[in-house]
Amino acid sequence: MTQVVDGLPVAVDAMGGDRAPKEIVAGACQAAEELGIPILLIGDPEYLESVGPFPGVQFQGASQVVAMDEDPGKAVRVKRDSSLVRCAEAVHEGRASAMVSAGNTGATMASALLRMGRLHGVSRPAIATVIPVIGSTPTVLIDSGANIECTAHMLVQFAQMGWAMAMERFGIAEPRVGLLSIGEEATKGNALVKEAHALLEGGAAGPHVHFMGNVEGRDVMTDRVDVVVTDGYTGNVVLKTLEGGVKAVVGAVLSALTSSDEVKEAAKGVMPALLPLAAEFDPDTYGGAVLLGVNGVCVISHGSSGARAILNAIKVAHHAVEDKLVARIEAVVGSGVAS
Amino acid sequence: MPSDTGPQQAGIGRERVLDMVRGSLAEILEVDPGTIADGASFADLGADSLALIELVEALEKDLGTDFAGFRIDDEDLEDLKTVRDAVDYVCAKLGNAS
Repeated sequence: MTQVVDGLPVAVDAMGGDRAPKEIVAGACQAAEELGIPILLIGDPEYLESVGPFPGVQFQGASQVVAMDEDPGKAVRVKRDSSLVRCAEAVHEGRASAMVSAGNTGATMASALLRMGRLHGVSRPAIATVIPVIGSTPTVLIDSGANIECTAHMLVQFAQMGWAMAMERFGIAEPRVGLLSIGEEATKGNALVKEAHALLEGGAAGPHVHFMGNVEGRDVMTDRVDVVVTDGYTGNVVLKTLEGGVKAVVGAVLSALTSSDEVKEAAKGVMPALLPLAAEFDPDTYGGAVLLGVNGVCVISHGSSGARAILNAIKVAHHAVEDKLVARIEAVVGSGVAS
Repeated sequence: MPSDTGPQQAGIGRERVLDMVRGSLAEILEVDPGTIADGASFADLGADSLALIELVEALEKDLGTDFAGFRIDDEDLEDLKTVRDAVDYVCAKLGNAS
């Protein structure tokens, strides 16, 4: 067993997600066992009792569960003893270093916002999702679903927060920030994009944020850009399109390579090269997206997350704490200067 | 919605409630409180449903120190469309509680 890392545990919502609690609990226990990251598992007390003591894992009972289709704001107010709300409280109260949930995305955001609070100067928190880029550092897509309606000022803040994440998480010295549009020219795009472009071009994100101009959808999975800024509606469409598209292509390739005995035999030579690629494209590899702009680390995992995705989400949360991501974002956005 | 009996008996005036609503909203929306008019709608101010929940929780916290157990009913939230609605609601609620 790996040595348990000193410090506060990562709070994990045992009841959130389509495959909760079994897969969530399994992933959390794996994180404690394999990575040595201490865990605070919060959920149904009876279920947690059946799991029994596990090295590196603390348990906290919560009597309520926020369903995947519940109204986010109301759920947080009404279900104060839900596993989700208790996770956010644990971070706010200093009993946990970060939280991870694969539950209702809106409610996770609301819990984090209402219990942890917003960082000073942040208009609205945004979801930053890591998009794999073969042979290069990943692209940070922000906002990938938190804010359906955005102002240009919000997009400027997303640029600052995404820039900080690319720098802290991937060690990119000078992340290149692009604004998603339908053409590279400043005149392309809707009113929101044009206004945001003018602000970013004018240095509204601070002197250190390198704004490279507009980028297009085809650039997201390339090494041309490090941070792609967009509103939450567009970002979520982009994210789901990429996930679906990649899944379809990977499935088609694997199907073609097993279409006959002759092809199967020939494929044996290329499979060792292809399988790592498939793993790199798998969203579970990246564990979850990070909610940026709240006063604590909150990782939102896919609703269908299994144990491996949760393990990786906990790793993401742990690294965000170690990298002092929240303090970095506060410095960038709160002061209005990206330094 | 609670009946409008006024907050004076409970020791808090309408102006103070208005200041609290403006102050909390300004903090949430990152705007100058002076730009928030009494009759402004939350939609025009750019306050989405989550911002309203933030406002409600802030008011409950602020008022909870003087009025133990003060709580805004979730089923009443849909009726609060403007700053004035929120102020009137809180005043009526405090009046009823006194």
